[in-house]
Amino acid sequence: MVNVDKLKEIARETISRDDVKYLIGWRQGTYGFRAAPYFMSTPEEAEELIFSPLCTNNLATYLTLAEKLPVPRGQEPDSRKVALLVKGCDSRAVVQQLVEQGISRERVLVIGCPCRGVIDQKKVEAKFPDVREAVSAVWDGDTVVFNLPGGSVAVPRQEVLAGKCLTCRYPNPVIADVTVWEEVAVWGSDDYVDVRELEAGSPQQRWGFWEEKFASCMRCYSCRNVCPMCYCEDCVLDRLNPQWIMRSVNTAENTAFHLARAFHLAGRCIECGECERVCPVDIPLMKLNRKLTKEVRDKYAYEPGVDPEAKPLQASYRPDDKEDFIL
Amino acid sequence: MSTEFEPNVVAFLCNWCSYAGADLAGTSRTHYPSNLNVIRVMCSGRVNPLYVVNALQQGADGVLVSGCHPGDCHYMEGNFYARRRFTLLRELLEYVGVEPGRFNMSWVSASEGAKWKDVVGEVTKKAKEAGPFKQFRRAKINW
Repeated sequence: MVNVDKLKEIARETISRDDVKYLIGWRQGTYGFRAAPYFMSTPEEAEELIFSPLCTNNLATYLTLAEKLPVPRGQEPDSRKVALLVKGCDSRAVVQQLVEQGISRERVLVIGCPCRGVIDQKKVEAKFPDVREAVSAVWDGDTVVFNLPGGSVAVPRQEVLAGKCLTCRYPNPVIADVTVWEEVAVWGSDDYVDVRELEAGSPQQRWGFWEEKFASCMRCYSCRNVCPMCYCEDCVLDRLNPQWIMRSVNTAENTAFHLARAFHLAGRCIECGECERVCPVDIPLMKLNRKLTKEVRDKYAYEPGVDPEAKPLQASYRPDDKEDFIL
Repeated sequence: MSTEFEPNVVAFLCNWCSYAGADLAGTSRTHYPSNLNVIRVMCSGRVNPLYVVNALQQGADGVLVSGCHPGDCHYMEGNFYARRRFTLLRELLEYVGVEPGRFNMSWVSASEGAKWKDVVGEVTKKAKEAGPFKQFRRAKINW
């Protein structure tokens, strides 16, 4: 069962180690049902750590976001580890980064927190509108209990959990140096119902659906910035020579942008749902990503972010890969 | 003048097989549709999926990527990577509503002039059936 005191204890021990630079976790946000990423480097700071249904952020993003400053001549690079709290889905991001050699195993210390599903801000805010104070939450059996200013309210998990959590198959970290508490039972299964629904339509219907969504995109690139798998130092979207995707905000360029973003995640997306969560105009990006995840699973029996020893999908091949559409 | 729609097809041909195959078809005086705009690349594995999206944006009604038969790649394995890549890209394009006939891939070796003729016929026919592409065509910029 979730035991935050034990988590704090482990965090204190970890941060006291000489070979750990800082620890990335969550703390209560400043208002509403939010948790904020928390970077701590002293044992005292562990008091503020939380682990609750509010901890939606995928902290694995920060492993590759850290600024790499040039090392002055005559100095050794800082080779201390970064400690990271992970949920099941976050741990898959860590594994996939290891597979792609985006990070090295010696530089990261993974603290696994088996998770019972995190909330969807939008669902909760619809249920409890106009809550200004910071509200904490805990799992309790099949409910999530919110400690609202007017008293605690228990809500069934099904009603407030994020969509990705309802079909979650990896609630337990797939990679961890320490697992804080015992593993939880897997409750979800995934048949890609949402993807199949859209596939069933005609091309015109599908384009009608996406055209509307893509047209509303304002190209803030939040989806790219928050994605734990988008860590290229030279992103194709930022390049000007050659410029494959123009910066103008219109349906044509937005479509090209979304195709490029989705395709760059083909065989890499670990379905943490962060892109969809941060989208200010509610584009169902996971519906796009999950299409490719589904194809990758069906065609190549490949699942990203599960096996640290695997090879990246698009950097490997099998001579007998399917080619039924090739003339 | 005929008013029938003539599609604009962009073909990325690999230098070692498909381009030579198309060349053979030409030197053998084979007749095939002239809707193709050929771009020679060194290997089908060199074709970035963004090229395909970009071609569609800039005026293509259909795209063809053609390379050596699996196992015959000049660079040993380039077309195997291309195969995975474009299988996924095709699914993605279809999923956002691009008609399935618009993106094609083929294996044509340097000795298959006759096959090249069939491939071009097939690709042109499919693009013609799908009609002019206008879903995410880039707006013309008048400088």
